[in-house]
Amino acid sequence: MNTTELTREDLATVSPAWWAAALVAVVLLAVTFAVEPGLFIDQAIGGLVYGMVLVLVTLGLSLILGLMGIVNFAHGAFFMLGAYLSYSVVVTLGLPFWAALILAPLAVGVVGVVLEITVLRYLYGSDPIVSLLATFGLTMMIEEVIRAYWGTAPLEISRPSVLTRGTDLGVTTVPTYRLFLVGVAVLTIVAVYLLISRTDFGLTVRAGVQDGEMTEFVGVNLPVRFTAMFFLGAALAGFAGVLYSAETGMRTTMGETFVILAFVVVVVGGIGSLFGSVVSGILIGVSAYLTPVVLSALAEVTNQPWLALQIRDLVPYLVMILILLYRPRGLFGEEGFLE
Amino acid sequence: MSGETATGGGSTETLDRARSLLGRYRVPVGLVLVVVLLRPVISNPLLLGYEAVAATILIWMVFVAAFNLLFGYAGLLSFGHAMFLGFGMYAAAIGVSGRAGAPQLPFPVAAAIGIAVAATVGYLLGRLTVEKGEIYFAFLTLAVAQAVEFTANRNPLNLTGGSNGVTQNVLPGFVESTRGQLVVVFGGLEVDWYWFVSAVFLVSMLALWQIVRSPFGRSLVAIRENGDLARAMGIDTTRYKVQAFTISAAFSALAGSVLMVDRYGASQETLSVITSGDTVLMAVLGGVRYFFGPIAGVFVWQFAEEFLNEFEVLHLGFTSVDLSGVLTHWQFFLGALFVVLVVVAPLEGIWGYLRDWVRDLYVRLKGVAE
Repeated sequence: MNTTELTREDLATVSPAWWAAALVAVVLLAVTFAVEPGLFIDQAIGGLVYGMVLVLVTLGLSLILGLMGIVNFAHGAFFMLGAYLSYSVVVTLGLPFWAALILAPLAVGVVGVVLEITVLRYLYGSDPIVSLLATFGLTMMIEEVIRAYWGTAPLEISRPSVLTRGTDLGVTTVPTYRLFLVGVAVLTIVAVYLLISRTDFGLTVRAGVQDGEMTEFVGVNLPVRFTAMFFLGAALAGFAGVLYSAETGMRTTMGETFVILAFVVVVVGGIGSLFGSVVSGILIGVSAYLTPVVLSALAEVTNQPWLALQIRDLVPYLVMILILLYRPRGLFGEEGFLE
Repeated sequence: MSGETATGGGSTETLDRARSLLGRYRVPVGLVLVVVLLRPVISNPLLLGYEAVAATILIWMVFVAAFNLLFGYAGLLSFGHAMFLGFGMYAAAIGVSGRAGAPQLPFPVAAAIGIAVAATVGYLLGRLTVEKGEIYFAFLTLAVAQAVEFTANRNPLNLTGGSNGVTQNVLPGFVESTRGQLVVVFGGLEVDWYWFVSAVFLVSMLALWQIVRSPFGRSLVAIRENGDLARAMGIDTTRYKVQAFTISAAFSALAGSVLMVDRYGASQETLSVITSGDTVLMAVLGGVRYFFGPIAGVFVWQFAEEFLNEFEVLHLGFTSVDLSGVLTHWQFFLGALFVVLVVVAPLEGIWGYLRDWVRDLYVRLKGVAE
């Protein structure tokens, strides 16, 4: 399952163990597809959706981490805030879902900016542990506000009718909303990547990360740029929250679950590599959804019913432990970053 | 006149000796004071008015102090310490109840198994993670704790009871529950549950104190302050950190096994991220640089929680909306207090401020007297 890293490695240096693992993974997936094609595609797309949401959350987290050295525990709270704000936009204000898709992330971005200016600005350059603790306190406050304002009961919104239908894929019918989510997420990820790597704004921000003092000497207003990046990171988390909760509903535990998963994605992908986060997010999402299917297919083929373990929630952590054992810096990580 | 001066000098000498002894053993004295004063103070009608929570507070103090051995002394922030509490809790509950075909064990054996499991997991996890950098360490422990919680939730082999936890037949033979009060029975001797917990508290805290002031503990501080320098001086930093993690895990599991009896069983909420987060909050709130920091933090936190719960119960006859609002604000403002504390001085906490304040007061009073 951890074979995606082969893409960037020089294939000649890849050890036989990896080849064997890749072969086993391919065989297992093929067997599963042969046994239960419909379920396989269903779960693969479910995993892709989950992975895309993870990537969006992680992108904001690793932007803020990589650029400012802030370990933002409140990122899960931003994700959750986006989800709950979309409820307010759709149900309380009565606006269409499309409006929520734009308004909620903007509002979350503004919240992020306020927190950046009032609290996090004082933590640049301090021990990352301090920023982790401070943002943990912020998480507590945001979650408290959410519980107070929206209550603790699960909430749901209705999606536009265009997206509630199914799309026929031959072996199975997939809800159109899932395909929409994947498409939107891919567009967003590409846009963020272009912003960081191809624009003057991205260039100055990256310069500021490498040498803040020098960048300011040549006339770049860095604090404004960092605030803007924080806005972007928070808005991305809020956006992911809107997309995700439109399908699954809003729960008060979604924030903590996703911030932990996002960090798992960062660890697996390698800190400091946006590309790594994207790959590992999709990898973790898909493997989490496919592993139970593979196991149940295996149980069917070998006639060993105990093999059909329901370990979907456990898979991300297992992948992380494997990565830490065999490739501690992550799939595409730079060595020594934050170590 | 001169005779008086001589006796005066003698008594100053005794006084000095007493003072130096007190200074040297101020931690044990302070611990005994905590045990003796905690129950009367919180059962004061102006404060809580009931004493059942005192034993729980003591257990939490042991747990957070064990956590702080790792964070405050070794400088490793574990964000998943609830799992070690959970190991002790679940092992004790499963062993004592003998559910799902597990052998029925006496409480000390079950607790020892829990402690051994926690120490083993701590050791292995430590080997895997302590050299990964502090942020990595924090999130790795958090992720492993999540995995442990999911596993308990899946109810493997019907042992952990899923989201219900283990609550049937969990009281060990020597503990009896009469009218909601726990009583420990040794032969014919009946001892209040609070005093049993106090004994566990004193023994564990003294053990932790000895660890902290031993060469081992000093080495941990050296590693925390400057890992490279410590390594240059010949300290095997990895080994020391792994050992600290193992010891911390073992003491956490000990606290967990006692907490199991105190709470009448093992609950899945204990394993959650929220418990781990609360642990961090309590330690930082109290002040991680001081041995008494976690004690102060746990007291303030648990007391506030209980006090406000009680407050709500008392006024339930009136509007409940208002009161849940009050409770909400309390959590919100506690978070705000925490953020301010962390931004201003992350390592001092309440105990640090209290110390400074007392010292200032002392100096000022001395100045006035002179």
